[in-house]
Amino acid sequence: MTPEHTRPVPEPGSFRDPQTRVFHADGEVLRGLGAQAAQDWKALRDSEFFARTQADKTVTATDEVERELPGEPGTWSATLRHEPLPFVTYPYEWSHTMRQDAAALHLDLLQQALKAGFTMKDGSAYNVQWRGAKPEFIDVGSFEPAKPGEPWAGYRQFCQTLLYPLMLQAHLDLDPRALLRSQIDGVEPAQMRRLLGGTKRLAAGVLKHVHLHDSIQSRNADRSTGAVREQLRDAGFNSELVAAAVRAMAKLVAKLEWAPPATHWGDYRETCSYSDDDRAAKQQFVDAALDAARNRELVLDLGANDGVFSRQAAAKAGYVVAVEADPAVVDTLYRQLRAEGEKRILPIVMDLADPSPGGGWAGHERAGFAQRAAKADVTLALALVHHLAIGRNVPLPAIVDWLAGMGRTVVVEFVHAEDPMARKLLANKPDGLFPDYHVETFVRLLGERFDIAKRETLPGGTRTMIAGVRRD
Amino acid sequence: MESHLAYLDAGSGSLIVQALVAGTAGVVVAAKLYWRRVTSVFRRKTPAEAPVEAPVETPAETQTATPAAATADKD
Repeated sequence: MTPEHTRPVPEPGSFRDPQTRVFHADGEVLRGLGAQAAQDWKALRDSEFFARTQADKTVTATDEVERELPGEPGTWSATLRHEPLPFVTYPYEWSHTMRQDAAALHLDLLQQALKAGFTMKDGSAYNVQWRGAKPEFIDVGSFEPAKPGEPWAGYRQFCQTLLYPLMLQAHLDLDPRALLRSQIDGVEPAQMRRLLGGTKRLAAGVLKHVHLHDSIQSRNADRSTGAVREQLRDAGFNSELVAAAVRAMAKLVAKLEWAPPATHWGDYRETCSYSDDDRAAKQQFVDAALDAARNRELVLDLGANDGVFSRQAAAKAGYVVAVEADPAVVDTLYRQLRAEGEKRILPIVMDLADPSPGGGWAGHERAGFAQRAAKADVTLALALVHHLAIGRNVPLPAIVDWLAGMGRTVVVEFVHAEDPMARKLLANKPDGLFPDYHVETFVRLLGERFDIAKRETLPGGTRTMIAGVRRD
Repeated sequence: MESHLAYLDAGSGSLIVQALVAGTAGVVVAAKLYWRRVTSVFRRKTPAEAPVEAPVETPAETQTATPAAATADKD
């Protein structure tokens, strides 16, 4: 009776397609397949197309295993095992170029699938995850043999979760993250239409994918998709047209470039107050703290800026997530990492004073950042605390509590109130608003949750490095 | 016949837009679809074509035309 493995737990983000469901067990990622999905999988598994996606790692490494999965007897006809991801992220945490690459990957796989006689059941941005700066298609259950004359069922979803967000950024310089974060199914054609009126109608892709889409959708609202599919087939719709539509979308996605505005962070390292001595001492301190950490599989670099410390940490750690609030800075870092073929540093966009909440059904279909960050081994919070404490008025005890919810090892660079960067932030607040903002107060508070392993003031005298190990 | 319904609601309008996105050949297909809808009222109705665009007149041998079909037009 004793099971060899612990009982698999269903992944909250995987319930929409009843034919396939993802489970977690013993660090493994398993996928149950219903009778139809198992049949589709067998066709996929034996195809040259699937072998290619496994070789170039564009689709998550997958094999078939024997495991008991929860559910009524007969629910699951086959079980797959996927290579786990070091850190899960969502489209509202990606920069523009990341979304563009995710969209391109989705369409490229669809094009290859169509040539091999397969199609995809959906077209969601949530089908894509990241290994460092490389996108990966995770939804193996999405592939099924194509039926002749059948349009792509995922087109609308693709528009709403990938194409429209790209258009908002490229055509309006409007960051789509707020919309993506609050609407799990993405941006509606009707919303897009209101945003892209006037001459914006003429911008690439807008007339067809937005305006025509919205009006045809509302005019066909009371027709079933089954009826329209039949009408399309009768009118001569065929697989060449699906391929042509996907080709056209791939061309459009490549065109939707965004040139980030120059921001003050862009040249932050040039203008910030580090001397060479400061930088060298800081690097040594971070290295030593990483060396001393019991585990360093997953490192969070909070407030990563241009990623220089993420890179340094990656030399010692398994995987580094570089979290930065400025989308332009993340986009630049992503492009650099992509050019280097980096697969162990993942840059994401997030305002740490307003991190991603849980989303979707019951608020946990998409996990909040806090839940995902809890798995980290080491947290780097370098020159971050003053932004939260002075810039956003977060009390120091709350910051310490928050840090204690992440890596067991924490490395903090505390910027003193006298430092030029802190003074800049303080200049916008009334005098005496933050009487507690002091390195001694912070060290005392941190000491309540962590054993202070090391403390060192940088040669410039206005920044203190602190390494702590959480008392578990 | 095999079911063509996937777990995801593809959106009936979105399926037609896909044809338009496919270029000239797709536009021809969409035009044909709309033309057939317009002319369908002169032909024998199939379930796929309901609801009808405009019930201009009911064919002479009308045992298939029901009151529901005749009032299905909402425009």
